[in-house]
Amino acid sequence: MRLTRLVVIATLFALPSSAWLAARQDPAPGVTSQDLLQGLKDPTSWLTYSGDYSGRRHSPLTQITPDNVHRLVPQWTFQTGTMTRGRGFETTPLVSDGVLYVTGSNNFAWALDARTGRPFWRYRRELPDDLTYGASAPVNRGFGLLGDQLFMVTLDAHLLALDRRTGSILWDVELADYHIGYAATMAPLVIGDKVIVGISGGEYPTRGFIDAYDPETGARHWRFYTIPTADEPGGDTWPFTGVRERGGGGTWATGSYDPELNLLYWGTGNPNPDYYGADRLGDNLYTASLVALDADTGLLRWHYQFTPHDTHDWDSNHVPVQADIMWEGRPRQVVMVANRNGFFYVLDRVTGELLLGTPFTDTTWAREIGPDGRPIVLNDGSQGCLPDYWGGTNFMPPSFDPVRGLFFVTARETCATFIPQKPEIAPGRRSSGGTVWVDSDKGYGALRAIDVTTGERRWEFRYPTPTLAGVLSTAAGVVFAGDNEGNFMAFDADTGENLWHYPTGSSIWGAAAMTHMLDGRQHVLIPAGTTLTSFALPDERAR
Amino acid sequence: MGKSKVARYRSTPGRQAMVRLVLMCGVTLLLVPSGARAGQDGVVANPYEGDPAARRAGAALYGTRCAECHGADAKGISGPDLTALWAVGTSEARVFQTIRRGVPGSIMPSSSAPENELWAIVAYLKSVSTVPPVEFTTGDADHGRDIFRSTCVRCHRVNGNGGRLGPDLSRIARIRSRAALTLAIRDPSASMAVGYRTVTLVTADGELIRGVKKGEDVFSVQIVDTEERLQGYLKADLGEVRDETQSLMPAFGSDQLSDDDLDDLLRFLGTLNVVQ
Repeated sequence: MRLTRLVVIATLFALPSSAWLAARQDPAPGVTSQDLLQGLKDPTSWLTYSGDYSGRRHSPLTQITPDNVHRLVPQWTFQTGTMTRGRGFETTPLVSDGVLYVTGSNNFAWALDARTGRPFWRYRRELPDDLTYGASAPVNRGFGLLGDQLFMVTLDAHLLALDRRTGSILWDVELADYHIGYAATMAPLVIGDKVIVGISGGEYPTRGFIDAYDPETGARHWRFYTIPTADEPGGDTWPFTGVRERGGGGTWATGSYDPELNLLYWGTGNPNPDYYGADRLGDNLYTASLVALDADTGLLRWHYQFTPHDTHDWDSNHVPVQADIMWEGRPRQVVMVANRNGFFYVLDRVTGELLLGTPFTDTTWAREIGPDGRPIVLNDGSQGCLPDYWGGTNFMPPSFDPVRGLFFVTARETCATFIPQKPEIAPGRRSSGGTVWVDSDKGYGALRAIDVTTGERRWEFRYPTPTLAGVLSTAAGVVFAGDNEGNFMAFDADTGENLWHYPTGSSIWGAAAMTHMLDGRQHVLIPAGTTLTSFALPDERAR
Repeated sequence: MGKSKVARYRSTPGRQAMVRLVLMCGVTLLLVPSGARAGQDGVVANPYEGDPAARRAGAALYGTRCAECHGADAKGISGPDLTALWAVGTSEARVFQTIRRGVPGSIMPSSSAPENELWAIVAYLKSVSTVPPVEFTTGDADHGRDIFRSTCVRCHRVNGNGGRLGPDLSRIARIRSRAALTLAIRDPSASMAVGYRTVTLVTADGELIRGVKKGEDVFSVQIVDTEERLQGYLKADLGEVRDETQSLMPAFGSDQLSDDDLDDLLRFLGTLNVVQ
């Protein structure tokens, strides 16, 4: 396929160079909105963080199967030369036309040859020395892509557009003032003519928002604040204005999008202070919630709050996973979230109606959701041994297999004691509001398969320690995940049997794998530590 | 961070040199501005300022580490002209940091060399720096812009517009001498910058793919082809990787671009120096 254009080039080559200059074709067209809508239909592409707008991270590729996955071998490893202490290499690479676009820690970024991992260009942002939240978690989770432009957020809370051919900056806009505590780490979501981004910094006195920007100019179309003003709906769930304006509610995990409903689904983070709630009595909307926004206007269509008045840093920053399933005998359009509070939720994504809320962990916080849609809290912390501040799962992406009806999620079983303390509130000063003691002897992790129509656990595979690896599943029935000890692993989607592992040498942390076809071979990529490694079955072509 | 800065600073020969200089000047350490004592990351002044021995040492270090790209005379080959740095207002601290950290998006690497070595190189570079540029003050910039738009823009970008096959020229007049730019236009094949060197890939079927080379190892080559596509190839799939001696850019002799037109074009590029 790639050779079809060569005749043209060969002809050009024969011309005198000045004639070549005049005859040169226009650049190849970039990624279109239509390409993004088609998601994973082009097997050579992975164009957005979750692979497609549904947030499922489920690939239609079938070359790698449960029967042959044990033969996977590394094809190459790329060394980033940049790392994050205590956090992960959390990105999801995008791939188009044989080129990988990868973001890294400390706002490094690269365009890599997908065949070899060798770079075409490198980018590194010059960051200020006085970063706030960005200094404590200098991570990035990936690019957005449209046309010839890549979109990346930065630790000093800017949004950049880069030329995907050169890595040069096309425009640069400030999302918020990083001095206060803001940073940005998520992968932008490109929908139609908008670049949707969220913000980090809920451990500081910030006010979360979701923004939409023009891809060409960087002009802002709309902003949705996750903390309402006093006269807006939800404003009465905060005690007074001064608290509300610094109430947290970060939006740092990439959302999903339903093009037919034109709704964006986005998770919101913890209220601030994280652990000390006495000065922010009330439910603290729209923190620890899922919000559905009109993509044209950013106006709130519906919301569901998972953890009212959270005091455990249980952000609801998860990829909302869409599915069209049979529910009690009739088809329903749903959105699913396995939440940091230890519950698995299924909601009608048109109306926000709660269909299912049931624990997928052994959480002692609550065991059921009441008729009013609120958790029946059994242990707010005073009984000890709650899920820790990393939660029953976290932002690492889950996946959903629509044929098997299974939701795959990395669960964390932990035991923590929360000790709230009134913090000093000041711009640029962390205000977590207490400390947390985690009993490490009682913790473990698990990959769990949840039947989405019942919430029941189909199978689990246990890891020795609480794990923050994301999940990728494929139509062939292979589930890729990983552990805190650095093993990248493949599982049988039906049984949970471990089929293959590869020790990467660094924790699989906050990242999930992605996969694409290249030269007729399925590749699976995983970032870990300072490396990105691409795996495939052995090349059987004659050399 | 702050603590280790101080600790490193105390042990550096750079500070010893500065102490020596200060004592020679007959003043006490207390009078040294705190900024100048801040150590490697954040120093504002070169502790070797005016030190001829350091300058000579810097010249030797430059010759082994920098000259390959920046030229023996620091006027630039594939890398920028470094003699114009001070003329355009670049600070010593900035030059130091650029050497220390490298330049993202380029082949300029970072350096872990001792602080005193970097300051010696900075001292050398300052000693060969030129006066503010007077090189791009003749010619008609408007006509030069017309020439650029009709002749150069398909492959070169300025201020966000133009092709990407050749280097972005928005800052070129800041970092290249007039003589170097004239040569690059009159005879572009004389020196092709790394990342823009012409390569022809011959497929197993004998077809030709042409572009500029961005990377290569034993087994693969990465190019931007003439359609501006980033493309990687395995050499096992290719018949040949041919490094060309001719730039993709045509030579503009005086029959195609008169001396006056060249002057106008350079003047236009010079106007791009102005920070918007």
